[in-house]
Amino acid sequence: MGPAEEENEGVGEAEFCSTTRVALTARQFPGLRPAFCVEEGTHVSAGDILFTDRRRPAIRFVAPTAGTVQHIEYGPRRTLGALVLDVDPVRDTPPPVAPKENLRETLLTHGLWSSFRTRPFGHIPDPDALPDAIFVLALRRDPAAPDPAAVIAPEAARFAETVSRLTELTKGLVWLCQHEGPALARETGRIRISRSGKRPADTLPAAHMRRHNSVADGGTVWTILYADVLTIGRLLETGQYDPRLVVRIDGPFVARPREFSLLLGADLREIAHVEARPDAGTVRILAGPPGAASEAAWLGPDDQCVTLSAAKPFQRDGGATWLGRQARPRPRPILATNQLDAALPRGLHAVPLMRALAIGDAETAQKLGVLDLLEEDVARLSTCCASGMDYRPLLRGVLDHLEMET
Amino acid sequence: MRSAARLRLPSRIAALRASAHPTGVWAAALALPAFAALLERGVPWAGLLLTIAVAALAWEQVFGLLRRYRPSAEGVVTALAVSILVPADVAPWKLALAVSLGVVLGELVFGGRGFGFVNTPAACLAFLSFSFPDVALAPVGGAIVISTLISGALLIVVGLVSWRVLVAAVLGLVLTLWVSTGAVSPVALSPFAFGVVFLLADPIGAASTRPGRWVYGALGGFLAAMFGVADPVTGGTAIVFATLFANTFAPLIDQAVIEVEVIRRRRKHG
Repeated sequence: MGPAEEENEGVGEAEFCSTTRVALTARQFPGLRPAFCVEEGTHVSAGDILFTDRRRPAIRFVAPTAGTVQHIEYGPRRTLGALVLDVDPVRDTPPPVAPKENLRETLLTHGLWSSFRTRPFGHIPDPDALPDAIFVLALRRDPAAPDPAAVIAPEAARFAETVSRLTELTKGLVWLCQHEGPALARETGRIRISRSGKRPADTLPAAHMRRHNSVADGGTVWTILYADVLTIGRLLETGQYDPRLVVRIDGPFVARPREFSLLLGADLREIAHVEARPDAGTVRILAGPPGAASEAAWLGPDDQCVTLSAAKPFQRDGGATWLGRQARPRPRPILATNQLDAALPRGLHAVPLMRALAIGDAETAQKLGVLDLLEEDVARLSTCCASGMDYRPLLRGVLDHLEMET
Repeated sequence: MRSAARLRLPSRIAALRASAHPTGVWAAALALPAFAALLERGVPWAGLLLTIAVAALAWEQVFGLLRRYRPSAEGVVTALAVSILVPADVAPWKLALAVSLGVVLGELVFGGRGFGFVNTPAACLAFLSFSFPDVALAPVGGAIVISTLISGALLIVVGLVSWRVLVAAVLGLVLTLWVSTGAVSPVALSPFAFGVVFLLADPIGAASTRPGRWVYGALGGFLAAMFGVADPVTGGTAIVFATLFANTFAPLIDQAVIEVEVIRRRRKHG
């Protein structure tokens, strides 16, 4: 099926939903310092270069669709804040690009290198790096998220072909992490299937890494999301850069909860405006799994669910007085409850790790295997822990510390 | 319909786990044995509970004032647990003194309930036994044991108590008694039943890793048997000191579990 025929069909059975604005933001590429190649007002086509990594100019970031650069913003310390594109109302198909023989070159040139993340630390890998293994994550983050197998199904052959080409980037194995069910690619040579277990924690990327190639004591592996593999597959086969994601929109304020396909960086406020029930009033847009979602304005690459929930109630500050003094709420402890035991993959002990993260003890955390983990793996801890701490920033602090030491 | 009903129960339990305040759940679980104690022992027991609660809450507010925290009533949990093992004839000043020491040194100096490493009621009762050797802890009656079993089931469902600790403790106790005396009398085990749920298995002092919980529970059961939990006179004291010893060893047990895990990981992934 050619790209033109697919145009209005979307990915899988999910309908494609377009927005008038898309953006590349700090949420998608945290800590990235860009060197911009465009200015506000520049017109770009899909796949045109927007900016490069200032430190590693070979890594490019491209426009997800044709449009005009509306707004460029830096974040703190000259990091990327946001680059907002006004999408062209008529979607024209740019001439297909001819992918090079070398996959590494192709991905770098066409802005797809940034789909890889390293473990440990979760950065975009160096252009010439060779990982010990690559993990393709065809995992749903929570039970409500779209089923990766169903999303991949219409493009199954393309997906399997792309997974097999990923072996060109590593000397080791390519692990396809998926749920129970038929294999999403054929297991041959250096391609292996890793199936998630029954426990919720077994569906975390860290569980697969922990089983097959732990990086807790050294080494580097890369991860890539299945949606990015599909995008690479489309580029290799059709020459079109077409980064679409299938997400589920849900929540008490959604008129019609369903799955649809969106462009990477799509404007979620616009989607919320269209999809919210007429009587909803002000809604809060959350992206990510329930319980661990964060407020988001633009669709990120690893968002599988968009939730519209009630606006945050106004909270009284803790200025209540107690015998005329400023009184604070009592801090709550980390309680070693039974459900925390199963909140992390096998071999990772949640409560000792949480204690180490809470006090910033990087040495103990490393011993406990923290290098296998990224924010998405510890999100569940925050929802089970009586202390109400968010372990994601604590984990990032410890990882930053460990990275500085090495 | 049936499948919907089947789905609803786990989701309700999950909601209960997520929303329940741990101290509140613990207090609710203790309320049942406390009610049984009120029925069994009557008004004198209520007087003891009042004495303990006043002492525990007073120190909590003093520390709260110093640290500028809002007033709280977490000491009630300690008071309920202590009151069940305290004999009716103990002088109120002795009780208040022991509870003050236990609450301050067991949790308040560490920052409050949950921040220490020992079970606070066990610390209070240990101070009482140490300071006043003539005081023997109260025997626990049948109604309290039955209500403890119900509360224990609730705590397991909510996840505050690990069934692994309970099973390991019972196994440790029964094996030790069987090896040392050749007989296990279930009647003599009533203080153990209460102590193992509300003192030994308290997540604040227990081991926090899954294999560690087995070792911790077995150690608690073994120590309780060695300290004479089967003897009606020393039963209460035995479980209190077994808890304190096991609490002290819990961090070491966890550390050992982690070391073993590190060795296993390095062997597998180099």
